[in-house]
Amino acid sequence: MTRRPLLLRLVDELLSGRGIWPAVPAIVVLVVVAVIPFGVLLSLGFSDIVVSRGVIVSQELSLRHLTTALADPLYHTTFRRSLTLALTTTFFCSLLGFPVAYLFLIGGPWVRRIILVLTIAPILTSGIVRTYAWIVILGGRGVVNATLMEFGLISQPLRIINTHWAVLIGMVQIHLPIMILPLIAVMSRHDSRLEEASANLGASRLATLRTIILPLSVPGLGTGAALVFTLSYTTFVVPQLLGGGNYLNAATMVYEQVVYSLEWSKGAVTAMILMATCLAVLLVFAWLTHIGTRWTRVAQR
Amino acid sequence: MKRIDGADLIDRLGIGFIIALAVLALALLLLPAVIVVVMSFDTRGYISFPPVGFTLDWYVKVFNQPVLVDAMWTSIKVGLYVTALCIALGVPTALACARGDFRGATALSVFVLVPHMVPGIVLGVAVLFSGALLGIGPSIWLQSVSLSVYVMAVMVRTVMARLQRLDPLLEQASANLGASRWQTFRIITLPLLLPAILAGAVFTFIEGVDNLSVTIFTHGYRDRPLPIELLAIVQNSNSPLVAAVSSVQIMLAVLALLAISLTIGLDRVNE
Repeated sequence: MTRRPLLLRLVDELLSGRGIWPAVPAIVVLVVVAVIPFGVLLSLGFSDIVVSRGVIVSQELSLRHLTTALADPLYHTTFRRSLTLALTTTFFCSLLGFPVAYLFLIGGPWVRRIILVLTIAPILTSGIVRTYAWIVILGGRGVVNATLMEFGLISQPLRIINTHWAVLIGMVQIHLPIMILPLIAVMSRHDSRLEEASANLGASRLATLRTIILPLSVPGLGTGAALVFTLSYTTFVVPQLLGGGNYLNAATMVYEQVVYSLEWSKGAVTAMILMATCLAVLLVFAWLTHIGTRWTRVAQR
Repeated sequence: MKRIDGADLIDRLGIGFIIALAVLALALLLLPAVIVVVMSFDTRGYISFPPVGFTLDWYVKVFNQPVLVDAMWTSIKVGLYVTALCIALGVPTALACARGDFRGATALSVFVLVPHMVPGIVLGVAVLFSGALLGIGPSIWLQSVSLSVYVMAVMVRTVMARLQRLDPLLEQASANLGASRWQTFRIITLPLLLPAILAGAVFTFIEGVDNLSVTIFTHGYRDRPLPIELLAIVQNSNSPLVAAVSSVQIMLAVLALLAISLTIGLDRVNE
């Protein structure tokens, strides 16, 4: 038997595929670039720091910033606004996303292909570009105003952009694909015989939709809602561009504190609250999905 | 002939309403992109609907603006770094997660996915602050490394999904025929994984080019990437130039979509 070189034996050991070794470099990088930074962020939220030329020169334990933030009415309105916006966005995305997933379920191969292209292409396009499209549509000389004036419905351009409505419309459209994809994934895993059986037993299509398809798509709805909420709760592109710079949500607040006013302790506290509230809502979503899934099992019986 | 009674009518109306909602949603996804592309050909110096002429000048201008071209190069570089890192770190991790029988294999596969579920701005701020603690300022490297950590999950998930579908008999046959594990990996496993790696690479590259949430806190001040420049010009200008830049991005997205449908197929993306 020939002795194989050490290097090859080492490679074999690595590729044996049973050990943790291949993952070690990734684990090290994740710990250094994600786990430790989160620890640092937490520690900064609980301390007083002095920053000089982009370097933290001193750090002292203090709850000052956290308590100030929690008592600040600006924080209350900002976080309430962000939560409402993100929850409304999630609601409208499920309202529009579910029908698309249903169409995917009942549609032929071409309908399916079109739906996939229209949902995946936006994900591959920059959020700024997609938000910009809404400036073109909703702006003073935009598509909506030009069309309304053309038909003589209004004489002056409506002020749509830089309002709450513009932000909401943009939010829903931009996060819609993130809701559709998990729904489609869950629905295409259904056993289609369930629906056929339901139809054979004389159920109408609406009844089949309500008693079979809707309950079975609860997990997809849960995943989609969690993704849409996380993204819309923490985005600043849409509020910044469609809200005209004076629409402050939690994410824009973090951005302004960290990048513009360089109040890093405040920024760390805001980021912490953002993360904590986001996690809390996601837990509620997970709980609701769990209840919904139990309901599904009852429906399947 | 079938008689249409009340219940049937309600059924038709209900389903019709749902399909109408679906069509509305699909139109909502498509139209904004179409309108941006249409407006990018307008001859006037400001955005005003409907367009009055046709010109390609804005596209020429995009590629004549050193700021934009530099930003594009920076972002392409970031995209390539991110993709390279995600392949180098993510593919072995997927192998360990899918094949490993060590304790904590499941925990590991969850751990790898966590950074992608954390809000991008929180990761960005956290990395910026930790860097500041160590005296490491924002730069193209800090940006690339933090983005890699952020999107590595996509690569791991895509490759893992493929690994779980691979027929283990193929690798066993290779081993039985006397191939070393390295030969088996190189000749059997790797080629079979290639479509998944390519699909993952498309997504990590796009994220490297387009991401704003992590980028905005970690990018270098000298190497300003495209999303940062885009945000600035969208905020400060009303010319079809922005529409032209946007159209270029939309066309790139369509190319990426083609690449995906040719590698793993559109219907597999969702896994």
